[in-house]
Amino acid sequence: MATTPVAVAEWLGYATPPLWLQVVLAAVVSGVVVTVMLTTSALAGPWAKRKITAMFTDRIAINRNGPAGIFTIAADSVRLMSKELIVPDGADRPAFDVAPAILPLSALLGFAVIPMGSGLQLADPEIGLAYVFAVSSIASVGMVVGGYASGNKYSLLGSMRSVAESIAYEIPLVITAASVVLLAGSLRLSDIVAAQQGTLVSLGPIAIPAWYGFLNPFALALFLVASLAEVGRNPFDIGEAPTEIVGGYITEYSSIYFVLFFLGEFLHIFLSAAVLTTLFLGGPAGPGPAWLGIVWFGVKIWAVFLFTQWCRAAVPRVRIDQMLEIGWKGLLVLSFANLVLTAIIVGVIA
Amino acid sequence: MNEWIAVGVFAVVAASIPAVMVSASRLLRPSVPEKGKETVYESGEVPTGGTRLNFNIQYYMVALLFVVFDIETVLIFPWTVVYQDAVGAAGLGSALAPMLVFIAVLVVGLGWAWRTGVIRWVSSANTEFNT
Repeated sequence: MATTPVAVAEWLGYATPPLWLQVVLAAVVSGVVVTVMLTTSALAGPWAKRKITAMFTDRIAINRNGPAGIFTIAADSVRLMSKELIVPDGADRPAFDVAPAILPLSALLGFAVIPMGSGLQLADPEIGLAYVFAVSSIASVGMVVGGYASGNKYSLLGSMRSVAESIAYEIPLVITAASVVLLAGSLRLSDIVAAQQGTLVSLGPIAIPAWYGFLNPFALALFLVASLAEVGRNPFDIGEAPTEIVGGYITEYSSIYFVLFFLGEFLHIFLSAAVLTTLFLGGPAGPGPAWLGIVWFGVKIWAVFLFTQWCRAAVPRVRIDQMLEIGWKGLLVLSFANLVLTAIIVGVIA
Repeated sequence: MNEWIAVGVFAVVAASIPAVMVSASRLLRPSVPEKGKETVYESGEVPTGGTRLNFNIQYYMVALLFVVFDIETVLIFPWTVVYQDAVGAAGLGSALAPMLVFIAVLVVGLGWAWRTGVIRWVSSANTEFNT
C-alpha cells in the first residue's frame, strides 16, 4: 500500500509530485500523525494510567472534571506549564535545557514510519525497522545529558542506571526483531505487515492469522520483556525508582521540562507498543473492512499499554545487579538462540 | 516521491512540539528566584560535595561490551534481509554457516565477559554499608 502523501498526490492527479507539493503533503500528514500520537500519549495515556492504578490499588481515581475525569489531565497540563521553572545551582545550562526536548523528539520521530492502518503512514523507507530503533535509542542521550547537567547525585545515578539498562536490553530487542526480519525478508514495515496477512491455521470457523506473535510466541515474549526494559517501565524502572533515588534523572526538572520528560516516556511506551504491534501482531490487520485498520491498530497498542500498566501494578522492581543478569545472561543468550533457531527453520522450509 | 523528504518534514514538525510547549510555558509561568529554591535536592539535607565525582567503573565495562554487540547487530541486519534469497540461491549451508561462525565468535566473547565478571554486579569493597 502506498504511503499517505503518495496516495493523496495521486488522488490530486500528480503521478510525480513537485517538491513543494511533497513538502506540503508531508507536513499535513505529519501534523495528523503527531496529533493522533500526542492525544494518545499526553491525554488518554496519563488518564488511563491513573484510572488503572486506582483500580489495582482499590482507590478512586480522578472523576470530577468532565466524563470520568478526563478534563483533569488537560487542567494538569496547563497547571504544570504555568509552574515556576527552577534551575538548580549546579546545573550545566545549555545541556540542562536541551535534554528534556530530546526524549519526546526521539520517540515522535519513530512514528514517521509506522503503518497505522486506514492508509495512514507518513513514509515507508526500505530500512524502516532500523530507522525506528535508531531514532528511539537517541532517548538515552537525553537521559544522560539531563542526569549529568542537573548537578544532582540522584540524577547522575538515575541516568547511569537508565543507560546501563537501555544498552543491556537494546541488543536482545534488536536481535529478536532481526528474527522477524528473517521471516519477512524485509526491513520495510509495510512489507512486514503484509507478510503477516495470511492464515496460520484454521480451527473450524476460527482462522488464526499468520501474525509472527502466533508463529513465534517465544520471540514475542522476548520482545515484550526487552521493550518493557527499554522504556524503563516496571519491573525495570530502576532508572527512576522513586523509592530509591527520588526520580532519577527527572529529580531536578520542574515545570515544562518535567512535562517534556513525562510526555517523552509516554510516547516511548506507545512507540514500543506500535513497533511490537507491527512486528508481531499484524499491524493494523483485523476483521472487518480495511478502513477499520486504524481502530485495530489502536486496540493493539492499547493492549500493550495496558500490559505495561498491569506490570506496573503487579511486579516489584528488580535490583540493578538482577537487571544486568536478566539482560546480559538471560535475554541476550535467549535472543541469540531464537535468532539461530529461526534461521534454521526458515532455511529448511525455504 | 522521496521517503526521506517526508521524514525530514516530520522531524521539523516533531521538533516544533517541544519548542512550542517551552515558549508557551515561558509566557505562563512566574519567576520568583530565591536562593533556597535553587539548592540541589538531597532529600532536604544541605547538599554535600559536587557531582563531578569518580563513578563506578562497572557502568563503563558494560558500555564497552554494548558497543561490540551493537555493531554486531548492524552486521546481522543485512544478512537477515537477504537470507531467504540466499538460501534459495546458494543452499542452506552456505547461507547459514558464516553467520553461525560469526555469532559463535560473539558468544565466546560473551562467555569471556561472563567469566571475568564484567556483567556481574559487585558492590564496591570500600563502601561503608557493604554487606
